[in-house]
Amino acid sequence: MNSNNDFEQLIQRYMDGQAKSAEVEQLNEQLAGDHEARKKFCEQLNLDSALAAIAAGDVPENLSPAELKPAFQEQGRRSSAIWILSLVASFFLLISIASWWKPVARPLATVTSAAGIEEISRGSLLFKQRVKINKGFLEIVSVTGAKIAIEAPAEFWFESAQRLHMKYGRMAADIPDTAKGFTVVTPEGEAVDLGTKFGVDVPSQGDAEIHVFQGEVIAQSSDGGKRKSLKDGEAFLLQSGAGSSREFRSSAFIRPGEVASLHAALEVGQQERSEAAKENLKNDPALITLLDFESEETLPMGTYRMGQGRWPGSRAPEFVNVGDHMKIDVGGKREWSELTLAAWVRLDQLGEPYQSLLHTDGWGEQDGQVHWMVTQESTMRLALYGNKLAPHSTSQHGFPDSLQPVLPEQGRWVHLAVVYHSAQRTVRFYFNGEFDNKEKQQLAHPARLGPAQIGNWNLHDRKLSGRMDELLILGRIMNDDEIHNLFEAGTPYR
Amino acid sequence: MSEDHQNHHQQFLRAFTTHEPAVRAFVRRLVPSRADADDILQEVSIVLWEKFDNFREGGDFKAWACGIARFKVLAWLRDRGRDRLVLNTEVVELIADESLRDEPRLQKQREALETCFEKISQPERDLLSRAYQANGNIRETAAASGRTIAGFYQWLYRMRQMLLKCIHKTLAQEAST
Repeated sequence: MNSNNDFEQLIQRYMDGQAKSAEVEQLNEQLAGDHEARKKFCEQLNLDSALAAIAAGDVPENLSPAELKPAFQEQGRRSSAIWILSLVASFFLLISIASWWKPVARPLATVTSAAGIEEISRGSLLFKQRVKINKGFLEIVSVTGAKIAIEAPAEFWFESAQRLHMKYGRMAADIPDTAKGFTVVTPEGEAVDLGTKFGVDVPSQGDAEIHVFQGEVIAQSSDGGKRKSLKDGEAFLLQSGAGSSREFRSSAFIRPGEVASLHAALEVGQQERSEAAKENLKNDPALITLLDFESEETLPMGTYRMGQGRWPGSRAPEFVNVGDHMKIDVGGKREWSELTLAAWVRLDQLGEPYQSLLHTDGWGEQDGQVHWMVTQESTMRLALYGNKLAPHSTSQHGFPDSLQPVLPEQGRWVHLAVVYHSAQRTVRFYFNGEFDNKEKQQLAHPARLGPAQIGNWNLHDRKLSGRMDELLILGRIMNDDEIHNLFEAGTPYR
Repeated sequence: MSEDHQNHHQQFLRAFTTHEPAVRAFVRRLVPSRADADDILQEVSIVLWEKFDNFREGGDFKAWACGIARFKVLAWLRDRGRDRLVLNTEVVELIADESLRDEPRLQKQREALETCFEKISQPERDLLSRAYQANGNIRETAAASGRTIAGFYQWLYRMRQMLLKCIHKTLAQEAST
């Protein structure tokens, strides 16, 4: 071994706390008199610091779910523990900042709500272990007070109370003052919060997106990408070494607060109730189609991704870009004098262009062709080709429109329904089971279906930004009570 | 918290999160162990926040923070260094000055490590991570890898040399393209 190697060994023994007193003395002497030696020394210790930083982000493989034990169950203890933690955090702001450096064996976060996940329940403590969920929803509070909702499928772990790694999955965060600086780390870069509500979507394949609901977030792509400040309503695609703007999608994310409501509905058997209602509908003699998108074999053709539906582990098509669509062909060539359309949707973005709920392929070839959509004004519209509005109609644009905007509760699942009766020349609109508006038609053709698209129409000039879970097309009218029951049986909230 | 205070805090966090790795590495070069560096960094962060009012907007946060860190390190060496095997104050001061001057190059080296770290095999990466995690127990890690403690330190030594070589090579290539 040459002296160069000896010197390097000496540095490393010092660095690892292995050097004896005489060795440190020797190191002192060599360093005091030799610039090159100091340079080498600096490089070694610099490497040591950088390696520690990398290791901190690279945690050991999964603990089994059994190791995630609920630490407490009762409401009272849970809330007081969190209350104290957040109180402490807000008084000692800096302590909370400082605390992300010294990881010790103490919990970094607590599960405050879990829906549809067997392994994890409310009160589970999260340390640094990896957590993988295949279905369901989780809500977590970090010890610094950051509220986080995570939707399956997802894999994540806390590096510290202020750093959450998302390998894949979707999360939305609500960050109070005590947790400013909270950072979400993805394979393609990081999102650093500056006091906000924001969401991060990390697909299992493809680049991660940051969406800012409110406040400011700094986006930093990995591999030397520029830092980018994002404000309210902005979205950004993280890409290695770069990044680009994205269209803002607010409802793509389950938000803190929603999980508890989803959980409560599951607890009272709402999913089973919904299944039973679905089975009943399947026996309805007037049923044209009931799409629940659950079975891979029967999924319609088109361009869309699949996300989680209203229930843990259920599936729903998700439309993101203009032109994304799903093709269906139902109802044949016949005329339908009565028609009920209903769907559960979660819409991200309204305004231009129209959001297509169901557009039959043509417009003008035959009277009665059905176009069901959400307009730029966010109202629901049912347009049938050749129909005419009655005089003195409240609708402003020549087609029957709802009175209320579609999203009374933006960012949640909503139930949309419309009932058409050509003989009575009426169109009735419903939101979340509640009657909204009745429009009279002067001229009302029977409805025609056939080949149609969800999420688009002919020329890429429609879209549907969001998810659709369950589409019901029924060849008869449903009355107010039936629509109300349809909503009540299908709602994922309590 | 008032709005002003909030803004102020945001500015601080923004600057701090950006420069924290550099300040941490700076402190690490001056003290014997990573745990010591962690302790000192916690103290430094509190002083930085307290004195952030005096920091001129648009000034060099990294230089300012390293200046404060340098003081903290010297105080630490004086107070707690007595019963520890530490380097002489004169040597530490030399290293502090030189390594600050050399920081742009050292920063590039830290960045290049990310690439080099990806190049080593997964089992070796896992083992290195384990050894480096804050509560990593070398005895257990060595045993888990089937090595004696001395053997494990030798392995660590070789890995670091290899990584350093890779870093030099990566930066030399970057410089020539």
